[in-house]
Amino acid sequence: MQARTTRRIAAAAAGLTAFALTACGSPDKGGSTRTTAASDVAPVADGAAQVKLTLASGASGDECQIDHAKAAAGPVTFTVTNKDATSITEVELVSDQRILGEKENLAPGLGSVTFTVTLGGGTYQIYCPGATTENQPFTVTGQAAASRTGDAATLLASGTKEYGTYAAGVLSDMQTAVANLKTSVDSGNLADAKAKYALARPFYEKVESAVEGFRLPGYKTDDNHGNLDYLLDMRESNLDPAVGWHGFHAVERDLWKNGKITDETRSYAAALVTDTTRLAGLAKTLAYKPEDLANGAAGLLEEVQSNKIKGEEELYSHLDLVDFAANVEGAQQAFAFLKPGLTKIDPALTDQVGKQFDAVNTALLAYRDPKEAGGYKLWTPALRAADAASLSKTVQALQDPLAQIAQKVATAQ
Amino acid sequence: MTNAESTNPESTTPEPATPEPATPEPSGVGRRRFFQGAVGGVAVGALAAGGTAWGIGTRPTVTTATADDHDVVDLTARHPFYDQAHPPGVQTAPQRHAIVMTFDMLKGTTAADLKLLLARWTAAIAQLTQGKPIGQIQPAHPEALGQDTGEAAGLDPASLTITVGLGPGIFDGRFGLQDKRPALLKPLPALPSDSLSPSLTGGDLSLQVCADDPQVCYHAVRNLARMARDTVQTGWTVIGFGRASAGAGQQTPRNLLGFKDGTRNIKEPADFDEHVWLSDADWMTGGTYQVVRKIEMDIEIWDADRVSDQEQVFGRTKLEGAPLTGTKELDTPKFAAKDKAGTPVIDPTAHVALAAHENNGGVKILRRSYNYTDGINAYGQLDAGLLFVAYMNDPAHFIRLQTALGANDLLNEYITHVGSAIFAVPPTPKTGHYIGEQLFA
Repeated sequence: MQARTTRRIAAAAAGLTAFALTACGSPDKGGSTRTTAASDVAPVADGAAQVKLTLASGASGDECQIDHAKAAAGPVTFTVTNKDATSITEVELVSDQRILGEKENLAPGLGSVTFTVTLGGGTYQIYCPGATTENQPFTVTGQAAASRTGDAATLLASGTKEYGTYAAGVLSDMQTAVANLKTSVDSGNLADAKAKYALARPFYEKVESAVEGFRLPGYKTDDNHGNLDYLLDMRESNLDPAVGWHGFHAVERDLWKNGKITDETRSYAAALVTDTTRLAGLAKTLAYKPEDLANGAAGLLEEVQSNKIKGEEELYSHLDLVDFAANVEGAQQAFAFLKPGLTKIDPALTDQVGKQFDAVNTALLAYRDPKEAGGYKLWTPALRAADAASLSKTVQALQDPLAQIAQKVATAQ
Repeated sequence: MTNAESTNPESTTPEPATPEPATPEPSGVGRRRFFQGAVGGVAVGALAAGGTAWGIGTRPTVTTATADDHDVVDLTARHPFYDQAHPPGVQTAPQRHAIVMTFDMLKGTTAADLKLLLARWTAAIAQLTQGKPIGQIQPAHPEALGQDTGEAAGLDPASLTITVGLGPGIFDGRFGLQDKRPALLKPLPALPSDSLSPSLTGGDLSLQVCADDPQVCYHAVRNLARMARDTVQTGWTVIGFGRASAGAGQQTPRNLLGFKDGTRNIKEPADFDEHVWLSDADWMTGGTYQVVRKIEMDIEIWDADRVSDQEQVFGRTKLEGAPLTGTKELDTPKFAAKDKAGTPVIDPTAHVALAAHENNGGVKILRRSYNYTDGINAYGQLDAGLLFVAYMNDPAHFIRLQTALGANDLLNEYITHVGSAIFAVPPTPKTGHYIGEQLFA
């Protein structure tokens, strides 16, 4: 089912280091010279150093003006006002690539907003994407900050470990479910096999973005014989003639379109069991990074939009909504494991994503149907024609904020 | 296709009506890109240029643009946004391309969401109209999304204007803004001959995006829709590819029926003040009302009609665009004129007669329409028509004209109104402020 067969084994690639967003040693040319009173130490009021950031249109572009570029260690309150800078919509306080505080959705006319962070001694960066000088140093004098036990990075790290356990559990359940499917197919009972197919489908759909891209040892990267995602979840629409039909959808085609179980069907089901076992084994070796979870969640929603909404995934059985719900559940799980850390980084985004998950789940509720195998109405062409647009828009409203998470969590490590 | 009339149709040298005409980028002279408007409109250029007066019956066969064709596009031109007397994209000389897209506020959104949306849209519109991206195209961090989608990078501003409209739904109580409702803003009533599709009707917000480069148009509407997805859902859209209404100083363009459209359109500043701009209208002062209609044309049927009959339908000649009682485009129609048999020369139900201000109590509206095509329809026919956009200071003026046209227009045999919506267009903001800020004061 993967849309891009070139997708890397993201989770396994430990070498992907976060790009130095705002490395302290490389401020933009011009550095802090733009700020006139920047050498003054910020005055303290209400128990916090007070720093004003004014976004204003200047002669050569929009500027991020800092009234005090120094503060004593302790709480610092940044008050951000967008006077008339139309190109700047966000401001971040960054340290060693970690976002310590930020304000987004800034626009002229909206009034001032504030954020307060407790800072130890050291050099920080104020990052204003879109400004003529995007990075400016901010210096804090005094005691260095204590270690960050329990901070965002730690919370994210433990979240990713827990996600690994979750994913392994899903794949373990999948092994059981495809074994049941195989037993049913072997027995030749068409109706029962259809029911077992519906029950086996959700597991892979919950975690596929996290585990797709696996290749069996000894195969070239462009050979789908060694591509586990192809072997498990190829569809008619991405059929590779060199490899042929495999996996779930080969079984689906036989059960629904052809309406009979043949020896070929039995061999498809048997291979499904073998390949699932291989996948579960490989997945146990994975170590995830926070952005893998975020990108995986976003990838699952891409699957919803590109395949489920269009009814392409379950072309014969019309069980697309079962897969849809599983994709959403898998994405929500990944989000849930990131949530404790993400809340510290960007509470507004966390809240927004949570709300949009609620909206998608509410929309899905309307399609629950306990009489159908898999628990959802069949996504027939007629239902699709009537409902696809509105359902797709609901998912889109989740997809956009969800896609912003990877950057947040990647920069927090 | 309402034909609002001009008080001064004989004027051949109208003053430029836009208060702040688009200015070419001073630094961009070396890469100024001009192209002749004649590429897609040879006939238009041939007709209006040179000032030749062709009488009825002398069918000219000129098919090439003449050298003094002045319908030229300067892609480096751009319009100011903040601190203008009136919203953009109304009095602005119509650009070559347009997209109108409507949006509906999502369930559960609040006044705070609407406020944020309008402020973000305003800042982005200010960026876009100056030919700038709305944010980073190439983000600094590899895991980051681009803030601007990038397809307009390297393109000139192309006179881009973006006009924001607020539909009646914004003031229906969902956002506690009932008290701010523009006095004359309410859904249009059912009008004669309406054949509206629910999926092409209404909307809480509208964007009219116009530019001389279609990619600049699309980039703008795409990015504005993108940044708003957590607040609104897209409603319906029409993509116009050629202007079908002239502004001051422009040649009269043609609709897809092959006739000049907008010969008697509002062009004079005084007419804008009298018929388009709202005065003494509380926070809406300086703004206007916008009516959008999607009008399908039965292209094949029209093409099979003899030209003399087409001329009866419009009340004008096809090539010159003269009223059937005159010889030149700008001749004033004589609706009382009769032939020797006593029959009116211009049929009283001809399009030009029913739309004329002389026959509608002096009512005029600004038309700012575009031709559109949606390809081929379910019956294998060309799917095309007019994206009718009109501005007026009282929607009753549109209603009056369309009531007359919808009931009796000879043209109704060839057209169908399938989409419709009305919006209030707030005044343009001052620097440091945003569209509709007064709603939240």
